Amino acid sequence: MRVRTFGATAVAVALLTVAAGCGGGGSNNSTTSSGSSGGTAGGTATVLMGTAPDYLDPQLGYTTQSAEPDWIIYTPLLTYRHANGTSGGQLIPGLATALPTVSRDGLTYTLTLRRGLTYSNGTPVKASDFPYTIMRAIRVNWGGKSFYTNYIAGASAYDGGRASSISGIQADDATGRITIRLTQPYGAFANVLAFPSSGLVPRGTAMRNLSNTPPPGVGPYKYSSVSVNRGFTLTRNASFARFGIPNIPTGHLDTIRVTIVSNTQSEAQQVLNNQADVFDAGDTLPPSLLPQIESQASSRFARVPIPSTYYFFLNVTKPPFNNAKARQAVNMAIDREAMVRLASGFLKPTCWFLPEGIVGHPGNSVRCPYGTTPDLAAAKRLVQQSGTAGTAVTVWGEQRSPRREYVDYYTDLLNKLGFKAQERIVSDTVYFPTIGNAKTDPQTGFADWIQDFPNPSDFYLLMDGRSIQPTNNQNFSKVNDPHIQGELNRLNPVPATQLNSVANDWSTLDQYTASRAYVAVYGTETMPKFFSNRLDFGAAVFHPTYLNDWTSLQLR
Amino acid sequence: MTRFVVRRLISMVLVLFAISVLTFLIFQVIPNGDPAQRMAGRLSTPETVAAIRRTWGFDQPIWQQYLTTMKKIFSGEVISYTQQVNVLDQIKQDLPATLSLAIGAGIIWLVLGVLFGLLSAIRAGRFTDRALTVLALVGVSTPVFLLGAVALYFLAFRVQLFPNGGYVPLTSDPPQWLYHMILPWLVLSVLFIGIYSRVLRSNLLDTMNEDYVRTARAKGISERRVLLRHVLRNSLIPIVSLWSLDFAAVIGGGAILTESVFNLHGVGQYAAESIAQLDVPPVMVVVMFGAFFVVVLSAVTDVIFALLDPRIRLT
Repeated sequence: MRVRTFGATAVAVALLTVAAGCGGGGSNNSTTSSGSSGGTAGGTATVLMGTAPDYLDPQLGYTTQSAEPDWIIYTPLLTYRHANGTSGGQLIPGLATALPTVSRDGLTYTLTLRRGLTYSNGTPVKASDFPYTIMRAIRVNWGGKSFYTNYIAGASAYDGGRASSISGIQADDATGRITIRLTQPYGAFANVLAFPSSGLVPRGTAMRNLSNTPPPGVGPYKYSSVSVNRGFTLTRNASFARFGIPNIPTGHLDTIRVTIVSNTQSEAQQVLNNQADVFDAGDTLPPSLLPQIESQASSRFARVPIPSTYYFFLNVTKPPFNNAKARQAVNMAIDREAMVRLASGFLKPTCWFLPEGIVGHPGNSVRCPYGTTPDLAAAKRLVQQSGTAGTAVTVWGEQRSPRREYVDYYTDLLNKLGFKAQERIVSDTVYFPTIGNAKTDPQTGFADWIQDFPNPSDFYLLMDGRSIQPTNNQNFSKVNDPHIQGELNRLNPVPATQLNSVANDWSTLDQYTASRAYVAVYGTETMPKFFSNRLDFGAAVFHPTYLNDWTSLQLR
Repeated sequence: MTRFVVRRLISMVLVLFAISVLTFLIFQVIPNGDPAQRMAGRLSTPETVAAIRRTWGFDQPIWQQYLTTMKKIFSGEVISYTQQVNVLDQIKQDLPATLSLAIGAGIIWLVLGVLFGLLSAIRAGRFTDRALTVLALVGVSTPVFLLGAVALYFLAFRVQLFPNGGYVPLTSDPPQWLYHMILPWLVLSVLFIGIYSRVLRSNLLDTMNEDYVRTARAKGISERRVLLRHVLRNSLIPIVSLWSLDFAAVIGGGAILTESVFNLHGVGQYAAESIAQLDVPPVMVVVMFGAFFVVVLSAVTDVIFALLDPRIRLT
């Protein structure tokens, strides 16, 4: 999953609520639509980021903060439409001439590189740069490299040092033809090709972290200066416009200056005061400033849902949650509206594992199996019937706010249901390695998933029995359900470009999962779209995967 | 003097060694703190984690990992685990902001601390003394993060008298450097001014009753001269000692909250971010860097003691 980091949030939380009590007013929960309102071309905008990107090297970046610039600097063979909401999840050709041709067995992907492309430094782009790029991502240990090593033939051997190249990728510089052979059908592979880490870099680019001096790419913008942990500047890549790649905008601003600030309170204040232009969507808006923002800047602030799932995992291999009634009781009792309040409104309640915006999301018209209104009395009766009342439960949680508060609420709820629940709060940095370790084998606790790419299989990895492993396990509930396995075996190989044909099947599967109460889903995250009044708010795209689309930013 | 220097050098090496070992060991015993697992990401396989462990030498015995890290620190090749950047380059980049903060605030808190302490002692028991006592207590009791946030909110956000944090290098724009540093200097100084003025007041009152002060007065020396040359000079010894340690601690990354609240991108902020990520190499370097300054400034303090008090000899 794409990691959202929150270093600065810790500082912001420490800063007391000095701004509380200023203003009030309604909230704006709408998702903005695209469309230009006649802004001006050129100029400079300042983006503030509360957390520095993990890397500015495309083959290493894995956080939302690094994906935002990488997406518009390093165009992969395939990419996503620059659009709001569900449309933003549509795969389009990037540096490839068309979407890939997939063989009948789903094992071979064929693409052709566009002709006449050059990197931002003038070097011609060659088809052989693609296998080199993938090799580089593997060699420098990109956080998601298993998407390559698990599926591309020969990638695992290359990773293990048993091969000097990836046998499964063939590239012909003369024709631009690129053929990728997989070890097993993987429908989401087209999405893997659209990762910013698959964004081409020239053959020969050093196989080490180049965050200080990022390599050239092919995209509407390029890095013009970098100061690690302090900021970086993007300027328009003049050569990109002449390639005329359809559906990839060339950008409006001449320069985008990104400054890293350690204090999100100050970050929000600067945008509110129009001293800076963009509050990074990956940061948490300080609750103390929210009333003021909602009253004074309602025309330039919105909460935008992004495909993500927030849930409590319920380990089905250990008491009390190996008992279906105990799990159902949790799902029946959970007050999702209370969770929304704990998140200062940055959560949209849901009971479905597949979030809104992902193919297969059952939608609001389908009734949640355990209702949407909490029924504590019925849940207590279920716990009594299950015979699990009085069972000691350790609830695992992270320190950062509001996750800590979610777990506080949940622990209290479990106690009300009749369990003997106690919290175990772990440092954010080691939380997921801790609960993913077989030695810990947690009963229940906080978990989340933010999409790597808009594909249901990315979420169902967490329900796949095959993904249970002794360390770094992500199937925290340890679900190994034959029905789910069977459906995943059938649905996972469906190519990403044909996902809509199996939307109903995914939806049925998600309803089945909810009915089995393997997890207690409570919401989808919403992120802040918050600009200064210098920028055209309505015209700016908030992409479901890459958040603020900087190519759509324009001065009023 | 030579003996003094040699003794201090040996103690510095021992302190740095002990601190580096302790820091390194602390990170080894944190449950599930395996850097390989974090570097591999949430979706990694055990094979990937094992490969990273091999590449980075995490599969080596702890003592060997420690030696390798120390070797890299002293050869300037130490790389952070989280962002894989050269730690010494990062500290070099962050040091000017920390030095700017420490030197400016250090001067302010020393001058105002001494001034308020002196005034309090001279006016002991009167209104000025009581007012300064209350002010000192307020200063000591107010956490830096709260004071910083309040100052930023009212003076930078509401009134817009000061910039909303950030650091401008002195070399690139001196007036802007000053403009950006005033608020952090004042906020960081408040706590120290409170402490120093109380410590100095107490020392001054004790010294005023010493026999040699009475003798000086009996000799007909003016009250002003007695106060400045005899009382203040001797009372400053603990203040100098305190100042050097505090100043060294701030340079060595001690102003974590001030740097973070004002977004100065100094060494302290770097340390805070590295600790949050359990990134051992930068934490080790920053801790050793801080310890180095404390040891060196403590030696310099001893020299200043000898100048202030002729009875003290450097051995």
